[in-house]
Amino acid sequence: MKADVTVDARYKSCPGPLLELAKAVWNSKPGQVILLLATDPGAPRDIETWASHTRHRLLAVEKDGDVFKIYVEASG
Amino acid sequence: MAEPQPRGEDEPRRGGEPKPPNRISIIVASDKLDKLFPAVTLASTAAVMGWEAELFFTMWGLSALRRGYEASEVSSDYKIHEASLLRTLASGSMPGWREMLAEGRKMGRLRVYACSTTMGMLGIGAEDLSEMVDDVVGAAYFLDRAKDSDINLFIS
Repeated sequence: MKADVTVDARYKSCPGPLLELAKAVWNSKPGQVILLLATDPGAPRDIETWASHTRHRLLAVEKDGDVFKIYVEASG
Repeated sequence: MAEPQPRGEDEPRRGGEPKPPNRISIIVASDKLDKLFPAVTLASTAAVMGWEAELFFTMWGLSALRRGYEASEVSSDYKIHEASLLRTLASGSMPGWREMLAEGRKMGRLRVYACSTTMGMLGIGAEDLSEMVDDVVGAAYFLDRAKDSDINLFIS
């Protein structure tokens, strides 16, 4: 999957990955895809929950070794 | 019968009233790191989830809102963990508590309130308070906000 913006929040603890993702989404245009790289084991479920409370969309979660690759589409 | 409507943030409810956002209200009664971080983590996370988040700093918690205050200690029961926590914070793996507050305020509806009684008690004037403080309020205001909050916490 192609991303417009990549946010590297590896080795950051909660709420670092979510806040960094939220900041990237805040600075994005609607429809842009943000890739969040995170190693925090709570990140996938946190981002999924965050998406369910906002208009932004969780597209996919992939695992590459210890790194979660979380794709989110920003909404307006 | 009509299909149930999805309950999105701005979906109108039956009767046309928009659904109010969720709200968390937290009383912060300590300026120690192990109390400040959970409170500010929850508030800033709530804010970026589209919730209203309100922090009421009272008693010893109010010290954290003094201009130039640097939180550097944990509660006395947990002193044994202080050095490792300070190392973790210095490493940058966790966002700082001021940074979290600033992000929550910028991206969402996070408000910071200072307790008026404590200001009098500790001799803190409005000019001593950090620019993060939205307002100085009393117990009645907190109760009025807490009454309709989905989550109310007291962290001390």
